[in-house]
Amino acid sequence: MKNYKNKWIIQRVSALILIPLLFWFIFQCLSFSTMEYSQIIIFFTSTLNSFLFLIMMLVTIIHAKLGCDNIIEDYVSGKKIKFISKLTINFLFYLSALIFILSIMKVSLL
Amino acid sequence: MTYNRPLSPHLSIHKKVLTSVFSILHRITGIGLTIGTLLISIWISLLALGADYFYIFKFISTNIIFKFFLFIWTVAIFYHLFNGVRYLFWSFGLGMDLKTVYFSSYFVLIFTLVATFGVWFIR
Repeated sequence: MKNYKNKWIIQRVSALILIPLLFWFIFQCLSFSTMEYSQIIIFFTSTLNSFLFLIMMLVTIIHAKLGCDNIIEDYVSGKKIKFISKLTINFLFYLSALIFILSIMKVSLL
Repeated sequence: MTYNRPLSPHLSIHKKVLTSVFSILHRITGIGLTIGTLLISIWISLLALGADYFYIFKFISTNIIFKFFLFIWTVAIFYHLFNGVRYLFWSFGLGMDLKTVYFSSYFVLIFTLVATFGVWFIR
């Protein structure tokens, strides 16, 4: 029971962190879609930009994980399928978090 | 009891009223944005791998279908953001009477439309 209370709080705290970051992030992403490779690399050589981008993505992954767990719990019945789907999704989240950390490190320290 | 938390009623049980549609849309956009986040991790790994790999993204991003999905992505973000703000108020028990709920629903729609058009056409 206590675990769910913590998750409920973390879900809302992560949402609060994401609100201001999101406005910055959307503008950046839309300009990324037309920027050249070298321009994006220059963007990430700024420590502030790299830091904000990484924080944005990691908090998003935490928020998404909690949301997906809720959805699975509500709509997936059957203990085994529930376990497997949670495991798969968690694996994807850990993998993408690792990709973000390693990629940002490589791009910003290039 | 195997469940420790109250579950939301299944989709087929809901009558399609404004509040239930908004709630379901919140979850659908949430799943969509999750997939979007995983795609962004592929994008950043292409960037980290170098210019040769990044051409794969350059090739895809010139496609009109990519632009369409990028537009849908911004709509989903703004909807999830503004509807989520409403849910944050509800978490503190604010604005939960039926009249305010309906009123704020229309605000979510208006803000989503204005923000999406703002970010695409005024930027």
